[in-house]
Amino acid sequence: MRNLKFARIAAVSIAGAAYSILLMRISLFCLLLALVPISTHAAIVHLEMRPGIDASAEYLAGQRNKPAVLLLHGFLQTREFPTVATLARGLQDAGYPVLIPTLSLGIPNRVQSLACEAAHQHDLDEDVAEIARWVGWLKSRGHRSIILVGHSFGSMQLLAYLTAGPDAAVKGYIGASLIEVQIGTTPRASLFAQLESRIQRSQRDLVTQHVSYCRKYRSTPKALLSYVRWDQARTLAALKHSPVNVKLIMGDADDTLGKGWLKMLQQIQTPMVIVMGANHFMDGEHEFDLLEHTLKSMEPTQRPLPR
Amino acid sequence: MKWSESISIRQIALAFVTGLLVLVSLIGGFAAYQTRAVTRSLEQHSREAAQSELAAGVERLLAQTEDFANNLAHWDETRQQLVTPEYYTYWRDQRVYESGMLNSHFARAALYTRDGTLLAPRPAKTRLPSKLPAGLPLRQTISWLSNEAGTIALYHAFPVYGDERRQTLLGHGMIRIDFMPALVRQAKFHFTDTSNLKLALEPGETLAASQLFSRLNFGARPDPDQLRFQTILSRTLLALFVLLLSASLLGFVAYNRLLVRPLGRLTQDIDAMQHGHFSHNPSRSQPMRISELENIRRSLHDYQLQLRELHGSLEHQNREFHSQARQDALTGSHNRRAYEEDWENFRQQLKTAPQGVAFLLFDCDRFKTINDTYGHAKGDRVLTIVADALVMALRANDRLYRLGGDEFATFLSHTTPAQAKQIAQRCQSLLEASAFSDLGISEPVGISIGIAFCAADQLVHIDELPKQADIAMYTAKQPGRSRIALYGEDTERAAQALVASRETSALFQALATPGMVELHYQPIHGLPGRKVAYYEALARIRYNGELIMPGAFLPVVSSRRLETEFDLAVLHQVDADLSSQRMPPGSGVSINLSAQSISRPEIVSLLLELSRHGTRHPLMLEITETSLITQMIEVRTYLDLLHTVNYRIAMDDFGTGYSPLRYLVDLPVDVVKFDISLVNKLGQDNRAGQVVADFARMMKDAGYALVAEGVETETVLQKVESLGFAHVQGYLLGRPVPLSQLTVQPGAAGMGAPYPPLGEDGSVFA
Repeated sequence: MRNLKFARIAAVSIAGAAYSILLMRISLFCLLLALVPISTHAAIVHLEMRPGIDASAEYLAGQRNKPAVLLLHGFLQTREFPTVATLARGLQDAGYPVLIPTLSLGIPNRVQSLACEAAHQHDLDEDVAEIARWVGWLKSRGHRSIILVGHSFGSMQLLAYLTAGPDAAVKGYIGASLIEVQIGTTPRASLFAQLESRIQRSQRDLVTQHVSYCRKYRSTPKALLSYVRWDQARTLAALKHSPVNVKLIMGDADDTLGKGWLKMLQQIQTPMVIVMGANHFMDGEHEFDLLEHTLKSMEPTQRPLPR
Repeated sequence: MKWSESISIRQIALAFVTGLLVLVSLIGGFAAYQTRAVTRSLEQHSREAAQSELAAGVERLLAQTEDFANNLAHWDETRQQLVTPEYYTYWRDQRVYESGMLNSHFARAALYTRDGTLLAPRPAKTRLPSKLPAGLPLRQTISWLSNEAGTIALYHAFPVYGDERRQTLLGHGMIRIDFMPALVRQAKFHFTDTSNLKLALEPGETLAASQLFSRLNFGARPDPDQLRFQTILSRTLLALFVLLLSASLLGFVAYNRLLVRPLGRLTQDIDAMQHGHFSHNPSRSQPMRISELENIRRSLHDYQLQLRELHGSLEHQNREFHSQARQDALTGSHNRRAYEEDWENFRQQLKTAPQGVAFLLFDCDRFKTINDTYGHAKGDRVLTIVADALVMALRANDRLYRLGGDEFATFLSHTTPAQAKQIAQRCQSLLEASAFSDLGISEPVGISIGIAFCAADQLVHIDELPKQADIAMYTAKQPGRSRIALYGEDTERAAQALVASRETSALFQALATPGMVELHYQPIHGLPGRKVAYYEALARIRYNGELIMPGAFLPVVSSRRLETEFDLAVLHQVDADLSSQRMPPGSGVSINLSAQSISRPEIVSLLLELSRHGTRHPLMLEITETSLITQMIEVRTYLDLLHTVNYRIAMDDFGTGYSPLRYLVDLPVDVVKFDISLVNKLGQDNRAGQVVADFARMMKDAGYALVAEGVETETVLQKVESLGFAHVQGYLLGRPVPLSQLTVQPGAAGMGAPYPPLGEDGSVFA
């Protein structure tokens, strides 16, 4: 019944928002024209995450009275990924300060999306640590209200950060196209056992595993294990126990999602907007849907997000 | 060969074929020369193209290597290895290739630390240096080549920075490429012969990449298009030459068969036609394949047929002409030309076949008189009848020739004089039987025939036969003869006169020498007183003291046609005798003239001159009746003229000739002298005597003065006196005597009038 209620709410909200979407798009366009000078305030920020490994992020300045947005890219991508870059520009245009980091993944000043077949030595803990560093950087910039926005795998990494204990400045979480760490047809338990066995035997040979969209993801056993632990259950749990307000924006045409993922998300009553016809990347006309719902989701943050 | 000499069509064909082959050879040679030049140009172009291509390839390889280095330098995973090189070998041996950073295993990548030390030991088969070369500029890109035991390696070293501002140097990267295989494989060379591509680099020697091209030894790849072009051109030229040669030979054979041979046949036919040989060979009538030649052949064939017909016609016409040329158109007998040819041939035959030969010469008596009297048409008809009669009378193989006018001839082979005479008599018999009366000709038409014979053993004198026959014919024409004379028998005397050189010489000398003609004068007595009225001048020739009588020289005069000359000589002598005044005064002189002379102007002029003697000696001209007067009008005119100067005109020998009545009617005759043959008839007491007497009386009554010739008896004298003859002449009263012997008779001055005076009406009265 609870699921049906969420579905009705979503359907009503989607249907009811149809007219308001058009008005918002027009207002957004006007806002973009009005805030052109603001959008020009952008800077690349470098932080040494670990010795010899610098990471960079782009900081888009916004209105001081608005919460800062930490926008995280997807699996092995960079901040230049179109979905993230477009959304960042939209948020900035809406007056939000936006920090768009590119996770280093163990590579100094990584600027390219990392190939699946590269020697992946980074793990989720390092990713969470880098997120924490960027949250700290935002705080150092005076932002006391930070909203974490992630896309795809980045949404999962932000959940991991929230699970690890977020900074108090983090006020909300918006996950677009949230996805668990998929490992293909490999039984996750046996994979865990295999990887743990290698770790115990200190075997550092690269392991090839189907991870997310990578058919042959090569990684160290320890690093791989850190990711693959985030299955659907752990992700749902993280959502359920998120210390900050959570909002999911999902596309109903996202064919990368695991079977029954949206239904499970609905079952745990996670606030969620399902964009009809949008795929995993919410590209094309759905970029506006993503921005619109993101902005709409952040509005309560100016007031306390409902728990 | 001279140009003036004609050349054959076969030579033209050979010259054309040879010229064609020479031309093709020249074109082929020129094409080969041009091909060689083009080939050289193409080779140069190929080398230049190979150089450009190789330079572009080297540049491209260096640029590609630099691109590789640049990509590696900016590749995140490269920086990752320099920071955490735990999986460097995986990166080096696998990632750089599967990621596409390097595209070939001929290229190897390696990473060095900031101090130039290789991150991990190099693989066994690679020769990457474990440390970067000393002195290498650390923050610059540099390329060089090295000869490593025969293998040319291209090295490209580059720095790797940790940030985009190139402030943090993480280390170095290096790419090693097996230069030659990479160069050959990185692009397809169309112009460069890669098998001979070499870099002049000593083992262990290094070379900056910027100097690379100067050490490259290369060759141009043979251009397959060029080789194909040369092959095609060579084969084409060879094929063209062979084709043209074959075509020329075939053309020559065809030309020979289609043109030369037919033309040769046509030429042979034309040559044969030119020489009058008309081919009857059917093979020459075979059709020719060339339509124009076939037309010529047909035309020539038709022309040959026409020519053959024409030739046959011409031969026929030639035979006709030959026959006509030897045939007399009027009489149908052979003409004089045929006579001459046949006579010559016959003479030649006689040399091998001796035999007795008779030559017969026919002459129509008084034909000209007939012609003048009855016209030429009837004269021609008379000749035709005469010829027909003669042909009928001759033997089958004998030919009759018309020599001219009314003169015919024939020669008889294998004959004797008796046979010849027999044939001659048969000729006259058949002629007498001919119906001339149908033509309206009342007087008899006869022929005189002269026969000459040559025995088989006397053929050396064969050439004399025509002359002898001519003499015999004139003999036959003498009055009173049988009209057939055989030379040697009937013409002995005449022949002697004719052929005797004495008489002939005397005659010609007398004609050339005045005074040699001597005149004897025979008195003519008037009746009834029997006094000498005048003298008839009778000619003699005094030659070497001897006197030659007219019977000896007159045949010569007649045969030589010397009547006019002789009469002139006589008239000159008459003039001389009259001028000598030895002629009895008052006595007249009667002068004999031939009919031919009376129409000659010089005779008439001399007579007019003689007329000055007329006052002392009346003159009379005697024109013999036997002489043929052919120019009657001229003679009458002249006689009328002479009549006006008191010449008397006498008709001499009346009764022996022809057309006396016509003469009497047409000519101004004053005196008629009866021939002795008529006068003798008067002495006979028969019908002939009566006829002559009646005729004499009729003549006298018509006004003619009559003279009786040849009176030798008193009976005849009395008879003629009784008939009223005005004068009488004869041996009874006086013989001819020389002028010197003329005696002036008593009372000569009162001699009887030599002529009866002319009446006012022009008649003679006694």
